Amino acid sequence: MVSTRTSIASVVTLSALALGISLFTGTGFAASLVIWVAINVLLAASFRFVQLIGELNFAIAGFVGLGAYVSGICTAKLGLPFAVALISAALAATLLSLIVGFITLRTKGPYFMLISFAFTEVLRMIYTQIEYIGGNSGMIGIFPPVLLTEYYPTFIVAIVLLLLLALYQLEQSDFGKVLVAIRNNDAIVQTVGINVHLTKVLCLAISSFVAGIGGALLAHANNVISPGDFSFLLAVYTLAYIKVGGESHIAGPILGASILTLLAQVAMGFGPYEHIFYGSAIVIAVLLMPDGLVGIIRKFLKLAPKTQVSSRH
Amino acid sequence: MEIFGQLFLNSLQISAAYILFSLGLTLIFGVMKVVNFAHGEFFGLVLLLIAIIVPWLNSPALPLVLNYALAGTASILVTMACGWFLYHFAFKKFQRDMVGSFVLSVGLSLLIQGLFLEFFGGVPIKLPDLIEGNMHILGGAITTQRFILTIIALIVAATMCWLIAATKLGKALRAVAEDHEAAMLQGIPYQKIALYGFLIATFLAAIAGALLAPVTVISANVGSDFLIKGFIAIVIGGLGSIPGSIIGSILIAVIESVGGYYFDPSLATLAMFVITMLVLLARPKGIMGNG
Repeated sequence: MVSTRTSIASVVTLSALALGISLFTGTGFAASLVIWVAINVLLAASFRFVQLIGELNFAIAGFVGLGAYVSGICTAKLGLPFAVALISAALAATLLSLIVGFITLRTKGPYFMLISFAFTEVLRMIYTQIEYIGGNSGMIGIFPPVLLTEYYPTFIVAIVLLLLLALYQLEQSDFGKVLVAIRNNDAIVQTVGINVHLTKVLCLAISSFVAGIGGALLAHANNVISPGDFSFLLAVYTLAYIKVGGESHIAGPILGASILTLLAQVAMGFGPYEHIFYGSAIVIAVLLMPDGLVGIIRKFLKLAPKTQVSSRH
Repeated sequence: MEIFGQLFLNSLQISAAYILFSLGLTLIFGVMKVVNFAHGEFFGLVLLLIAIIVPWLNSPALPLVLNYALAGTASILVTMACGWFLYHFAFKKFQRDMVGSFVLSVGLSLLIQGLFLEFFGGVPIKLPDLIEGNMHILGGAITTQRFILTIIALIVAATMCWLIAATKLGKALRAVAEDHEAAMLQGIPYQKIALYGFLIATFLAAIAGALLAPVTVISANVGSDFLIKGFIAIVIGGLGSIPGSIIGSILIAVIESVGGYYFDPSLATLAMFVITMLVLLARPKGIMGNG
């Protein structure tokens, strides 16, 4: 396996590289591409965090949408500073997820999947009914602060890197181990005196905090948001990133989101094949690559030393 | 009183379609422990095929009823073949893997919807009415064709319930749903029963599609709407439970017709969601779920 020092070095190099690239993109198509990749990576990492407790959280699209709308209202309607918008978006998503999670996380497996799916669709429907935020046609004029305009891609990449690091640290901590233990056997976790229900709610809240920020960043990058942007499809695309990348390591969502987002741009060049593209990505990944790209890389890395050992004998 | 009659009729016709749809979903879940997100695509495929075949067969020599019957039968057969294909090349490997099979079916659903859009285009189609005229029952009005189609749907649903309750195949399906290992120890061929369960569910979705063809506006993503309602129905009723899916469907249909009448349709959907949350708070595995 790769030693800790090399992996830290490679993480630092890659982060610096990502930040460097984002600095030179300007404000054209390349900048949009960097922003899309960064935000999709963030959403995939947030989705995967709830997978640590073994649940598929389709409500992520709902929380991203909430973050986008709350931040949009803050800057475009109320004229508040961008920082306030970002924090309100994260807090709003966290707060709602605490309430929703407290009720829905009593269920698990297919029940939670379906309820989280319904939650996303209901939120989307509520947006279409509110005149203040533009109803069906959505909100316009959500701009990042003038000071940031030129460096907005860099700003997003920096925030995404910070949040990824935080999520990774959490996963490695004792709290993260409890989450995985809940996935493996929640009854045993309960017997050692850990409140499984509240831990799960907390896990969802952390993931939704990240999703809320993702939504705010997205809204200010696109300048325009509408209810259709935050349908259940957003969660399905996120799932595609994770399935292609692999879910056993945080590198999976990063890899999957980057590759699929870039490939999707190429595919879109041929026509409106978004559904077919993401659909077949999921089907191929699930049928042929059980642990995604990470699994393939892992196999490759582990096989290499083994053949060396056998050749010595 | 007239309003009650009307609301009753509306609930009846909506619930007939939902029952057929959610019976299939719950059957697949019970037998294979698969949450089939692509179930709506079977329904959509039948509708789209009928929308192509009916105008194609249309001629003065052929009565419209016969035309619908031919188109319906052919479409149902094609859809069942697709169901068989999907079972063998995809779902079979993911039996009893709830998360894996769900992810797979989400991907399949997206892929199939994309293909539908590609082949059938995005323009909604409305087929000609099968039978003209209206009827008055209990003070409410209903078109004759809707009434007849609803009755047929209810008969199909009742037959299915009888099949599951009384026949040997039905017993095997229930035994497998309860405990597949114990069922295998009793000599029930699990793989075969799983395939039958999946095909019966496909057939139910297909026949729901065929029955709704003359009264629905057909488009490539027509299945999605039914899918969401169907899922809510079986979550309320309890995944895998046959009576639960019927209770859930009726509940959803009543909320939809009553809420849609007194308020507006989106508020009715919101009410459905709130009621689902309340049910799950009291019974995390649905009304008829175990445990």
